[in-house]
Amino acid sequence: MMNVWGNMAQYEAIAWSWEIAVYLFLAGLSSGSTIIGLLVKWNRHERNTYSIWDAMIKSGAITAPVSIFLGLMLLIFDLGKPFSFYWLFLSYNFNSVMTLGVLFLLIYTPTVIVFMVLVFEQTFVKYRAYILIEWLIDYIKSFHHYSKIIEYFLFATALCIGAYTGFLLCAIYAIPMWNSPILPILFLTSGVSSGIAVNILIGLLFFKSTMSEESVKYLLVLDLRVILTEIPLIGILFIGMGYEGGDSLVALKDALSTGLWAFIFWFGVIGVGLLLPLLTVIIALKSHVYRVGYIWMNSIVVILGVIMLRYYIVYAGQIYTGQ
Amino acid sequence: MIKKYRMIYDENLCIGCQSCSIACRVENNVSDSFFRLQVRMETRGIFPSLSMQFSRHACVMCENAPCVSVCPTHASFQTKDGLTHIDERLCISCKYCIVACPYEARFINPHTKAVEKCTFCFENRVSKEILPACVSICPTEALSFGDLNDKNSTVSQKSHKNYFTFPKEHLRTFPKVTLIPHKKGIKS
Repeated sequence: MMNVWGNMAQYEAIAWSWEIAVYLFLAGLSSGSTIIGLLVKWNRHERNTYSIWDAMIKSGAITAPVSIFLGLMLLIFDLGKPFSFYWLFLSYNFNSVMTLGVLFLLIYTPTVIVFMVLVFEQTFVKYRAYILIEWLIDYIKSFHHYSKIIEYFLFATALCIGAYTGFLLCAIYAIPMWNSPILPILFLTSGVSSGIAVNILIGLLFFKSTMSEESVKYLLVLDLRVILTEIPLIGILFIGMGYEGGDSLVALKDALSTGLWAFIFWFGVIGVGLLLPLLTVIIALKSHVYRVGYIWMNSIVVILGVIMLRYYIVYAGQIYTGQ
Repeated sequence: MIKKYRMIYDENLCIGCQSCSIACRVENNVSDSFFRLQVRMETRGIFPSLSMQFSRHACVMCENAPCVSVCPTHASFQTKDGLTHIDERLCISCKYCIVACPYEARFINPHTKAVEKCTFCFENRVSKEILPACVSICPTEALSFGDLNDKNSTVSQKSHKNYFTFPKEHLRTFPKVTLIPHKKGIKS
């Protein structure tokens, strides 16, 4: 609409759109699948008789680098000047969460790629191109005495990646829904939840031979706990906005009650993303039978829910600022 | 000597004529359908006790600028005089500053793809001791601009005589643009 003072389009535009929402999902997924792969490796490995690598570790090792790579591509192409992204590596502002994120990603991305190559070494050896990286792998393997320390390091960087995506939004005090210290914890938790779901799906699809029921059951129990943590975290996010008062309270009311985004929250995030998986996990665990159907369904709804949570926070946050 | 710039917008004197907005476009070659500055108007109250409220929307040059602290490449930076500017070369257009700005002052220039906003006309006018375009064109002197360190400047004198508010004061961004709020109110 044209007003006396001119076009309002620039003020109504959503600066951060779907690319950012999907990136936040992919970064969370990458960190979650690494965390889950490592947890299975540490807690379940000695009980696994099938192979050196449990299917969950393999899925984690492949999901983590692929998703972070796709996410970074999206992030770069979301820039208004994609080919100037190299400035991120030349000019640092340590007050900016984005710069900190760049630094974490600079450490994390190569580490997960190395982790993938180590886990799939047997597969890679078959290819000729392996010669090109053989020296690197041999060099890395010479540190095998420190493998535990390297794994802890990878775990810590994965935690940083999962949490930084939350801090990225949390630093913006112009947007009430983002400006909450709960967001990093919420994103980390839901990232772990998506990590569990994707790892199980990839395992069922590609690594069925090394899939152990015990590990899946362990992860489903973990997922139950993660979801039960996520629900109060979302509650706390909104309660915090309410007690903040002023613009925050208005933003809270609008975001939970108006239009498409309120529907996506109540139906998508809460219904499909949290309550439905809660139900299927309980059924799958209670029946004590390894029912693939339930597990498939559970994983898919969890992934949809986590994607919708990111979309909701990114869009509803920018649309409903309480003004 | 370091300047302490101040812009004062008197809501009582503004008549919503939009000349500041036009002067800004012409002076700074602002792209079509984008704005560094808007003066919006709103009619308040119930007939016959109506009043017209004007509000100025542009960069307020925060002392504690969120756009500067979030910028990953220092493309948004602050000068010694406390003005925030954008280095187009360093700007990767990640739009982090656009979401961080509580005053919705920033947008992407459709030609250069870099982020753009009000500069107080620093390069083209203020650095040559000329008033910003919006201030010099204002027919009712609703806008005044100057150096608070200069005791004889209009802004120093106005500062002693008036009650001020700062836009979104609770965010503690300490803007250099201050408002003399609308005093007439509405008879209820």
